[in-house]
Amino acid sequence: MNWIQVLLIAAVLGVLVYLLRSRRSAQAKAWVKIGYVLFVLAAVYAIVRPDDTTVVANWLGVDRGADLLEYALIVAFLFTTISTYMRFKDLELRYAQLARAVALEGARAPEPH
Amino acid sequence: MRDVWIVIPAFNEATVISDVVGDVRLVFDNVVCVDDGSRDDTAEQAWRAGAHVVRHPVNLGQGAAIQTGVEYARSRPGAAVFATFDADGQHRIADVIRMVNRLRTEDLDIVVGTRFADGTPNNMPTLRRLVFPLIAKLSPASRKLGLTDAHNGLRVFDKAVADGLNLTMSGMAHASEIVALIVENGWRVAEEPVEILYTDYSMSKGQPLVNGVNIIFDGLLRKRMRR
Repeated sequence: MNWIQVLLIAAVLGVLVYLLRSRRSAQAKAWVKIGYVLFVLAAVYAIVRPDDTTVVANWLGVDRGADLLEYALIVAFLFTTISTYMRFKDLELRYAQLARAVALEGARAPEPH
Repeated sequence: MRDVWIVIPAFNEATVISDVVGDVRLVFDNVVCVDDGSRDDTAEQAWRAGAHVVRHPVNLGQGAAIQTGVEYARSRPGAAVFATFDADGQHRIADVIRMVNRLRTEDLDIVVGTRFADGTPNNMPTLRRLVFPLIAKLSPASRKLGLTDAHNGLRVFDKAVADGLNLTMSGMAHASEIVALIVENGWRVAEEPVEILYTDYSMSKGQPLVNGVNIIFDGLLRKRMRR
């Protein structure tokens, strides 16, 4: 086993431990966690037997496994970017509603003449 | 004009807000100025000039300020007609009076101002002259309604529109959002030619045109937002 394989597996397992220990929202994120576990298993497999990704790549008409992984990474990155943007927009809206409620609470009418 | 409420969103306008509110108050009794988290004393100036003042604790953007002002005004007893009016003094009171009269006499829910009624105004800066009609033409909702000037800050509308108004775009995309809401709710709309006073002050406060990219992008995403 190469050193790079050891390092990559350690990194992936580190992410797994971090995710399983986070207690942010127990039930809603359960499926996300299952997805991450599957991802970790696939990642470890791909690290130990990198040539197998090339086999999968060839099924899909891609020459090298490394290229296939890069394409997947780009797609995943775009997905993450957009979902983060949407989540920020949603937070912004709630933040505006909160600020509006505070503002209306403290409204000042002009003094009657 | 006691049932008319003028909504003025303002951000760092302390130097002009007093005059603008004062001018409006010569004709209209009810003015609500939404201070959008200004760092200067916009709120105090507006209040001294006789406006109701609602103050955002943080800066949220013009769309959010308009929504806040309309929510305040529509909760006031007797409020029936509402107008949005820019704080930088670029609109004319005479135009508002004409639009209010039109709303009262014709079968309309909302009257929006347009700068392009008879061609392009001569005093408009060249870039804006090219870009604003383009934005109006690019928006499917604007095309459908035959609107020529989606980003005019001057609008007059009735209680039905005020009650139905729910702007989720805090920034400048609210103008296209209002047009989209007009289509979705089937509000009866008409355009009224208005004149914009392009003073040095209002130009310095104006939107950099590249922000139009934000307006278009946010407009595309609006449909995907939870309301």
